[in-house]
Amino acid sequence: MAMTCRELWQEVSNYIEGTIAPDLLGEVEAHLAYCRFCSAVVDGVRNVVVLVADERVFELPIGFGERLKKRLENEF
Amino acid sequence: MSKGPNYAGVMQQTVSSQNLIESEAELIVRILNGQRECYYDLVAPYQRMVYVSALSVLRDEAEAEDCAQESLIKALCHLKDFKGESKFGSWLVRIALNEAKMRRRKLRPALYESLDRPADCNNHEETEYVPQVLQDWREIPSEALERNEIREALENAIKQLPDIYRQVFILRDLQEYDTADTAEILGVSEAVVKTRLVRARLQMRDLLTPVVRNSKLLSREAFKRGRNPWL
Repeated sequence: MAMTCRELWQEVSNYIEGTIAPDLLGEVEAHLAYCRFCSAVVDGVRNVVVLVADERVFELPIGFGERLKKRLENEF
Repeated sequence: MSKGPNYAGVMQQTVSSQNLIESEAELIVRILNGQRECYYDLVAPYQRMVYVSALSVLRDEAEAEDCAQESLIKALCHLKDFKGESKFGSWLVRIALNEAKMRRRKLRPALYESLDRPADCNNHEETEYVPQVLQDWREIPSEALERNEIREALENAIKQLPDIYRQVFILRDLQEYDTADTAEILGVSEAVVKTRLVRARLQMRDLLTPVVRNSKLLSREAFKRGRNPWL
């Protein structure tokens, strides 16, 4: 029986990370070949993962290290 | 998709990880022997990790910085308790998460009272997340981050995630811990980490796609190549 959308969503992490079980990979790709909704979900999730890994997201506040050094000097 | 294992790359990574652990161990010995001035060198690579961990609980930049600084000071005071059973970074992250949770309870007890309750977590756990029907998002991610508005949208979206999903998402996708380390830090099973991560990623996609679309940031190249970016 073909993979459903709900089943595919559970595999989305494994699929984009390349850790999906070999027997499921074919089912996911067959599903994505005809389901535009799930294709959009996979594209979106992949974009999120790439975006959030960028170090410019949640940058350390400017001067954080200097303030820490000062506290260490003062308190120890 | 995965291109298969890159053994040279894996070996190089293993060697550099081993070097890092050895140099950390040396620094820890020196600090415990009285050279406390070495402490900043030990924790400098983990400052952002500790800050983001605090932010994942507190959702406020100023409070997160204060908490991160305090966590790093506490880590120095308790450095003798670090036995090397986990990675040093994981140990720091656990201290930061505990400190942040304690602060949150003190700062906003009414607002956050329910968030730490297991029953509340279970309700989230039982609810399957169904992605929204949204227009496609084909933007090239690296280009998107050139825009401050996308970075801010990303940070705001992360803050909107329910607590249990946000912490897993930040550890796995932002701090790039693997599933096993994330499970150890949070004290949950690997299966729970995987489930929460899928739900967090699906929710992030739903939160971000409309922002990216409304920003009219779709690549002009996509249009030139004749791709229809809409469903």
